[in-house]
Amino acid sequence: MEASTPILELRGITKRFPGVLANDHVDFDLRRNEVHALLGENGAGKSTLMNILYGLYSADEGEIRIGGKPVTFNSAKDAIDAGIGMVHQHFMLIPVMTVAENIVLAQEPTRAGVLLDYDAARERVRHLSETFRFAIDPDARVEEITVGQQQRVEILKALYRRADILILDEPTAVLTPPEATELFGILRTLVREGMSVIFISHKLNEVLEIADRITVVRRGKKIDTVPREGATEEGLARAMVGREVLLRVERPPATPGERLLEVEGLEVRDDRDLPAVRDVSFHVRAGEIVGIAGVDGNGQSELIEAITGLRRAHSGTVKVAGRVLVHASPREMLDAGVGHVPEDRQRRGLVLEFPIAENVALHDYNKEPDSKWGWLFPQRLVEHARKLIKEFDVRGGGPYTRAGALSGGNQQKLVVGREVDRDPKVLIAAQPTRGLDVGAIEYMHRRLVEERDEGRAILLVSLELEEVLALSDRILVIYEGQIVAEHASGASEEEIGLEMLGAKRQEAVA
Amino acid sequence: MTTTAAYGRLRTSRLTEPRSIAIYGIALGVLACWLALPPFTTRNFVWPVLLGLLAALGGVAAVSRGVGKVGWGAVAAGVLGAGLGVLALQSGTSNLNEVFSASIIASMLVFATPLTFGALGGMFSERSGVVNIALEGMMLMGAFFGIYGADKTDSWFLGILIAMLAGAVMALVHAFFAIHLRADQIVGGMAINFLALGLTGYLFFKLYHGGNIPSNIPRIPEVNIPWVEHQRFLGPAFGSLNLLIWVAIILVPVSYVVLFRTAIGLRIRACGEHPRAADTVGIDVYAVRYASVITSGVLAALGGAFLSVGFVGTFNENMTAGRGFIALAALIFGNWRPFGAFGAALLFGFSTALAFRLPNAYPWADSYATLFQTLPYVLTLVAIAGVIGRTVPPAADGRPYKKQ
Repeated sequence: MEASTPILELRGITKRFPGVLANDHVDFDLRRNEVHALLGENGAGKSTLMNILYGLYSADEGEIRIGGKPVTFNSAKDAIDAGIGMVHQHFMLIPVMTVAENIVLAQEPTRAGVLLDYDAARERVRHLSETFRFAIDPDARVEEITVGQQQRVEILKALYRRADILILDEPTAVLTPPEATELFGILRTLVREGMSVIFISHKLNEVLEIADRITVVRRGKKIDTVPREGATEEGLARAMVGREVLLRVERPPATPGERLLEVEGLEVRDDRDLPAVRDVSFHVRAGEIVGIAGVDGNGQSELIEAITGLRRAHSGTVKVAGRVLVHASPREMLDAGVGHVPEDRQRRGLVLEFPIAENVALHDYNKEPDSKWGWLFPQRLVEHARKLIKEFDVRGGGPYTRAGALSGGNQQKLVVGREVDRDPKVLIAAQPTRGLDVGAIEYMHRRLVEERDEGRAILLVSLELEEVLALSDRILVIYEGQIVAEHASGASEEEIGLEMLGAKRQEAVA
Repeated sequence: MTTTAAYGRLRTSRLTEPRSIAIYGIALGVLACWLALPPFTTRNFVWPVLLGLLAALGGVAAVSRGVGKVGWGAVAAGVLGAGLGVLALQSGTSNLNEVFSASIIASMLVFATPLTFGALGGMFSERSGVVNIALEGMMLMGAFFGIYGADKTDSWFLGILIAMLAGAVMALVHAFFAIHLRADQIVGGMAINFLALGLTGYLFFKLYHGGNIPSNIPRIPEVNIPWVEHQRFLGPAFGSLNLLIWVAIILVPVSYVVLFRTAIGLRIRACGEHPRAADTVGIDVYAVRYASVITSGVLAALGGAFLSVGFVGTFNENMTAGRGFIALAALIFGNWRPFGAFGAALLFGFSTALAFRLPNAYPWADSYATLFQTLPYVLTLVAIAGVIGRTVPPAADGRPYKKQ
């Protein structure tokens, strides 16, 4: 440790929740003008630690020092007053209000003591925004601007409150690769201007790109703090997970067979009856993984919903193993051999309040052996669940455990297990590793390649470009509901990143 | 995206937007019907038909330019306006004069006032994120304690204060269940309504033996405006209105300023849209919600006090008779905005006034008058179904907030 006092120190922070030791005597310090990454798997205690620092939780033990002086934070207000700003993973912005209103909230400029001085607010936001070259319209409503811009509004919120310590909680989770690059540029500018940044992440490559020092936490404990120089992805992954991790999935070349999934001229409308998927055609062969890359909200969800029967297609056809299915119900799609790992496993994949056994039976509860003549055989459900738990290595509970009590990775194993166990011809995996940590991602990726080699046609939809690149034998890029490009395995990340933002289309227009 | 937002804010172009044209159309439709009624009482069918046609044309123009819902609204207003206008032509002038004399405006304001108080109160509560279906109960408390207070203190002013206090207490109970105990706000609110019904009913029997309210209880005075009083149309309409009617009218812009032009209003709305966001910038969500719900109770109770101490001068069991619910309907119909809610309250007030007056002139309308009373509910259904531009409640309305 250098002689200069760190701007922020956390000493021996301990936080217990019923049944969980979320933070176990964690030490952390932040130097002036550095980016210090806090790296750890989900549930390692990163967010808990930062919520303590931001005054949202109170620590059971330990001490926070700002500039060498001990402080106690009883609310977010105390932390804000001490110069701490936080950009939460889920933005704390009010969609219907303007950028300026969001930024000045709770510290509003006023006239005559009570009247909101919106003109002053707008000017101050414009000034801040111009100083840091953010290009944000103070009068735009938050719901009208892009996610990347929303994140900049969050940063402006901290700057407006004169924060000199900025906490970013998984800031790239919602960004496209170019937006992430832009964010890193912003962070470097901020650090140059005197800001100190805590960067929470579970992504190794990002941490190595932006951080000056990296602190790894695992199961509530601090494992190590290392400078970026000399740190490697493998070493950090080992510290994070506690064992050797295979970061690159082994993927032998595919041997594609017949076309199992064929989509022709598909048009799908969204909830507001606007076209979300426009004239999309593609196919997936047996034994190959086709990945769909795209920024969130470009029609991916509607496309999947149409293929799985959850949403009626406006026009076009879906063929499974040569059979045309028009306006098929989800049940008909399941029976035609389409397995679906939904993007939101907690809302669509599982009934969290149900035990594992009942979750496993969600598809086939109405058939033998689960039931006969409408009569359910609970014991058979339990046996079936036992088999899946073993086969798919679901940890943290038995057939009677509530699905909601499992960790994210184990929930996902359960969903994948249930789908694969029905021996589907086509497997649709929507964001199969969303929110999972390195160990679970490794398992899920290996499993998808295995299922491919079993001869299934796998359609992978992911917002993580890296994941699409790592797993796919062919890559389709979706932008504003259209497939704008197709690539063979091994395409360049930059090119696809630009296509995801519609660069290709713009060129075509120009 | 930003360019469309900037376009939307361009004030100059708003007057010629298709949406505005549709709104003119609706206004013309209303006028088409009104021309056949006093004070104009045209006897020529050309006017209503012409204006109705113009209204419908405006609507068609708006529809063709993409403003479907309001446009069709204008078409409907045109057709209805012309139809009702022509219908009125079939009626004798004296009958029309009886129903539609200028005093119907005063009558409308009387019926709209409790609704206005209730709706404005509900607005504060719901804008902060607490559904307030308990307006009815708070209003009833205000009605009883207004009378009781005025009786005991021999002062209508102290009576109003006591009514406000009773409303505040009722609101505090609702707030405690909704905010601290995070109970279901609809269920809790209904419980409050029944609690208020039982409590006021009990006290009414206990203290007044179910009806012996003295007749000399001081009433909230009428405001007589010296010059206006004797004007031909303004006089019967506005010349002599109850003090609380004026208070309600003044409270509409005041509420607007508080909610949309002050820092406090911004914070209230933040709590109703995204309480966690408010929390993370250091706003005490619970405190804001408590204050808003209590304000809501005070305002609703004022509406109740107007009914008892202001309008009737006595109290009856279940005196509010659902006006709290209609106030809530006005709030929803007015899209959780002060002027919108006031407009809805006026419309509902007008329909009630009409329901009272129609049978006087037209004996056959007796049974229809009762049916007329359902108009607020029908209109509310129309509003929430999104026929006239969908109403959008605050995003976190009805959702309890749990601090981390």
